[in-house]
Amino acid sequence: MVDIISESIGKDNRKIILVSLENLIPFMKEMRSKGFDHLSLVTAVDRKDSIDVVYHLHSMERNEYVVVKVNTKNSVVPSVTGIWPSANWDEREQYDLVGVKFDGHPNLKRLFLPESWVGHPLRKDYDLSKVQYINMDEDGEDYVTFDAGDGW
Amino acid sequence: MKTGETGVLTTTLENALTWGRSNSLWPLTLGLACCAIEMMAIQASKLDISRFGSEIFRNSPRQSDLMIVSGTVTKKMAPRIRRVYDEMPYPKYVIAMGVCVIQGGPYARGYSVVLGVDRVVPVDVYVPGCPPTPEALTYGIITLQKKIRGETDR
Repeated sequence: MVDIISESIGKDNRKIILVSLENLIPFMKEMRSKGFDHLSLVTAVDRKDSIDVVYHLHSMERNEYVVVKVNTKNSVVPSVTGIWPSANWDEREQYDLVGVKFDGHPNLKRLFLPESWVGHPLRKDYDLSKVQYINMDEDGEDYVTFDAGDGW
Repeated sequence: MKTGETGVLTTTLENALTWGRSNSLWPLTLGLACCAIEMMAIQASKLDISRFGSEIFRNSPRQSDLMIVSGTVTKKMAPRIRRVYDEMPYPKYVIAMGVCVIQGGPYARGYSVVLGVDRVVPVDVYVPGCPPTPEALTYGIITLQKKIRGETDR
């Protein structure tokens, strides 16, 4: 039994479990062995001084959901792709939009935005005043430009 | 009254051409977001646009005359829309469907949405709404037909 920090019940009657960063991988392995065979969702919340990463686990057999949260100060979280392979794209999405770096991810690239995009748009400190535009070169590769006349 | 005699109709070549063009506007399959659901409804049996000459949604830009931009145009999609538009043969027409396509809509202050598809391709008819009803889009196509025939001054 892995130690947890706190446990509560959410508005939708789902159990919310907060675990520490170093206990995340052993705790997730334990949940997987308890029958939570489906990683439904990975998302992240920017708390300005830290980032919460939220995992929604689902048991196909019992139709039961559990929410696991972990808090990180330096935006680095161990990857759970070794436990649920479907976490691959979910974690890439969170890396793209919130900037969470998943340690041990096999292919940590941006999922939606082009690689040269500056910043992570769902961060609180993202600068919306510097508008970025996208255009496509001859080979069909996207590139990011700050010149409104070059892209859209 | 049918008399059996062969009738004669005189017209200009220009009028005959625009009449043919306006009554065979084949749209391009270009569904970008939720407006595409309403766009699909106009070719279903209730509002069958085959009645107005838009016989079928073509999957190739080479075979289509009309581009219905239905749904939010993201910055990443804009170069693709431009490329598909460039691949369409002349004469080609564009309908901007929905408020996202017209000026960005509810996403206008976001980071990822183009503020109007008229920055990417020239637009002939704007159909407002969120989403526009299939009836409104059908009206937009009829307006475009009138525009091609020169019956409207807008």
